[in-house]
Amino acid sequence: MQQEKLVIQSAPHIHSSMTTQKIMFYVISALVPAAAAGVFYFGLRALMHLLISILLAVLTEAVVQKLMHQPITIRDGSAILTGLLIGMNLPVAAPLWIGGVGSVFAIALVKQAFGGLGHNFMNPALAARAMMLASWPSFMTNWTTPFDGLATATPLAILKAGIPNTTALPTYWDMFIGNIGGCIGETSALALLLGGVFLIYKEVIDYRIPLAYIGTVYIFGSIFGADGLNSGLFYLLAGGMMLGSIFMATDYVSSPATARGRWIYGIGCGLITMLIRLWGSYPEGVSFSILLMNIAAPLIERFTIPKKFGEVSKKNAK
Amino acid sequence: MQNKYLKTLTNGIFSENPVFRLVLGMCPSLAVTTAVDNAFWMGVMVIFVLTFSNMFISMLRNLIPDKIRIPSFIVIIATLVTVVDLVMAAYMPAMHTTLGIFIPLIVVNCIILARAESFAYKNGVLASTLDGFGMGVGYMLAVLILAAIRELLGNGSFFGINLLGAGFPAAKVMVQAPGAFITLGVILGIIKLMSDRKKAE
Amino acid sequence: MHLKTFKGGIHPPANKLTAQMPLVTLPAPKRVVIALQQHIGAPCQPLVKVGDLVVMGQKIGEHPAAISAPVHSSVSGKVVAIGPVNFSNGKTVNAITIENDFLDTKTEPIGFGKALADLTDLEIRSMIREAGIVGMGGAGFPTAAKLVVPAGKKIDMLVINGVECEPYLTCDHRVILEQPAVILKGIKALMKATGAGHAYIGVKITMEGAIETLHEVVKMEKGIDVVPLASKYPQGEERQLIYAITGREVPSGGLPLDVGIVVCNIGTSWAVGRLMETGMPLIERSVTVTGAVKTPSNFIARVGTMVSDLIDAAGGYSEEPGSVIMGGPMTGLPQFTTEIPFTKQNTGILVLTKNEVQPAPMTDCIHCGSCIEACSYRLMPLYLAKYAQAGNTAGLEKYNILDCRECGSCAYVCPAKLPLMHYMRVGKGYITAKRAAAKK
Repeated sequence: MQQEKLVIQSAPHIHSSMTTQKIMFYVISALVPAAAAGVFYFGLRALMHLLISILLAVLTEAVVQKLMHQPITIRDGSAILTGLLIGMNLPVAAPLWIGGVGSVFAIALVKQAFGGLGHNFMNPALAARAMMLASWPSFMTNWTTPFDGLATATPLAILKAGIPNTTALPTYWDMFIGNIGGCIGETSALALLLGGVFLIYKEVIDYRIPLAYIGTVYIFGSIFGADGLNSGLFYLLAGGMMLGSIFMATDYVSSPATARGRWIYGIGCGLITMLIRLWGSYPEGVSFSILLMNIAAPLIERFTIPKKFGEVSKKNAK
Repeated sequence: MQNKYLKTLTNGIFSENPVFRLVLGMCPSLAVTTAVDNAFWMGVMVIFVLTFSNMFISMLRNLIPDKIRIPSFIVIIATLVTVVDLVMAAYMPAMHTTLGIFIPLIVVNCIILARAESFAYKNGVLASTLDGFGMGVGYMLAVLILAAIRELLGNGSFFGINLLGAGFPAAKVMVQAPGAFITLGVILGIIKLMSDRKKAE
Repeated sequence: MHLKTFKGGIHPPANKLTAQMPLVTLPAPKRVVIALQQHIGAPCQPLVKVGDLVVMGQKIGEHPAAISAPVHSSVSGKVVAIGPVNFSNGKTVNAITIENDFLDTKTEPIGFGKALADLTDLEIRSMIREAGIVGMGGAGFPTAAKLVVPAGKKIDMLVINGVECEPYLTCDHRVILEQPAVILKGIKALMKATGAGHAYIGVKITMEGAIETLHEVVKMEKGIDVVPLASKYPQGEERQLIYAITGREVPSGGLPLDVGIVVCNIGTSWAVGRLMETGMPLIERSVTVTGAVKTPSNFIARVGTMVSDLIDAAGGYSEEPGSVIMGGPMTGLPQFTTEIPFTKQNTGILVLTKNEVQPAPMTDCIHCGSCIEACSYRLMPLYLAKYAQAGNTAGLEKYNILDCRECGSCAYVCPAKLPLMHYMRVGKGYITAKRAAAKK
């Protein structure tokens, strides 16, 4: 029998077909309905924002990795995803360069400076959003109505400002399908939910985080909001809640990896979001709450490590 | 002999720059670097206090008992800071108000205390004076760089003069606390990269 | 119907290509190579020398230690060589090569000339020991030693592992379908040997026909039950099997004995049953040869047959092989040559194509937590991997690396394609080295 060159590798010799790249592209696909809704409502300029953010994110990653003599990993799709999320967090009337600056910041500083994929301690897209909001508050809150492009306020801003009833709040249906003022990718709860259901079905995201986050916001909003259960629903559909709970809070690297940890993290995000929305000076609290919980995530994880199988409890040990 | 003193002097400017290499005195460095003007005057005050505190402490080093050296340093430094505080209040009241609490806080600036403890207490008067002066200059250089970047990007201006035109969308975060940390972090990273590359050669 | 199972685990594709292939008894080969270590424990010393004539079933090697099992000749013929040969663990092992004279002259049967009902537990255990029966699920722990109940402990249950959770392998499946009566005899003997009052046979719901077949033979027996289990990997892992059937958690660092249970593979029960019926020691067993071979099959082959002969018996390679694996794809050992002897412990020979063994591109750990979800021992593979890479023994011990059973679930699910099993083994190596150094 001839001696073939046989491959020797460590067991197991079979692997699941899920790869990092596949995960990234599943998430990107799940965002497509919401991105499309954004372009539908806000026009071609929205598409330009998305493209510029994605392009700058990928370019930044390639350049940084080249300068640091590291292998270029733009093919894994994580930079594209970050760029897309940054673009979706912009109001369409913002200047076209703003997404680019955010992308450079997110990739170069929040991601690559800390070690690249798997090492960011905060969600890069969200950190970029916070930076852009702090830098150019007027650009980042310059919302316009869908189709017409007239200046408007988001439902949350209307609520926070207590503008008299002439500026009525939009209907729940409008808020659900996204026919309201806001950032490009965050208005359509419907499109985002579709993407979220797809990701949970494909087991790309853990249902615990969005469920805990959404549940906490709904309960808190219903108890402390002005209109009972209606308020609960309002707070779910308004602002970046859907985008944040499904796509931002679920970033693997900056959230806990343990099951119990994810419940705590989701509840924490919900609580802080509602605290800011109800009693803080900002109308929207999603970005900051997720960023704060990102920082707490490693600690939460260490405290929720599961008890191993066959753990001998000290009082039972003979 | 001369080389040794020269080295002591330039030490604090480059290789042991208190802000960028020793990473001391962060609080005022981040707080007053929102404008080049503020950073400049802060630098001037720190040079004054650091030079003279090192000088006096070195002169008195054999008289100060070891067990109470820290309170003794503080007394000397506080005296000097009071002097600059009153001078600035008299001749530059606007800047005095702008810098506010950070002037008295020079008393507990880690750079000054650290140099007193690690250098002036153990070395001769001339060396200590030069070290203090060098460190002060290094400090001023560092905060000027920080302030230049922050003011330019965060306000479009340099030393109060608008350079980039009214249309420049200044990134307000740069003149806030996060911007300070980001700027410092990036500069520290660049310096480390440069010194690593230099070592590799 | 809510099936019993354990927490965690994975669902690799079953690929039971040979589930419908009945067992084919292969003719004895021209020569057999009987390894002197086909078990966990002390290696056997040869009892014969070159030139001796031996008969089929004759004991040709043994060691007096309790944790050991004798080896027997699987053919009658002449001893032609005693020395090191290439072995499935990548190293060499001492083995006795015997030239077959094709007469199949049998040795005296092992036993006391009594029916099973009259044998004492001591007698049964000595028969099992004499017959060289070891754990046939792949582990190879000497069965007789496992059946000894230490003073102060009591066994109330025997759990029979009929799960065969590794993808591709079907040797246990076919034995269940074709020789259930032999299995039953073996189980009764094992129950008597341990004093267990009840036996539970765990079988996966997807093992076609197995639950029904076994149920038919045990329905009249008091104290023996078939338990259908969910199809999940590693359902057949000893402690998870115990947990699924009984709800008892074997304490970390302990043995199933500590919860009153002894676990035996169903193939082992078959071997014991054969011993009770024929008095022949363990000289042949069922094996699945599958994957990229022309005719994936289930064979009953003589111990000591060359793996290359087994692959030929399955028609040879269907395309250029990537890896030849002894065992299943999750925990099997890849081989650098097929000129190695088949042993009592080998459950399967799996040939994977070059495409199938192509490693996917590796990225950094993305902290997705899939490994934590998959681990049935509720360990933290992502931490253990990092500690292992850093050689941090304190961290490894804190996160219980020694509880890792090396089932491979974590490495299977990892999307970053990290070699987690490899890191686990490296980590355990560090701990072993540290403890050895501390002893000095």
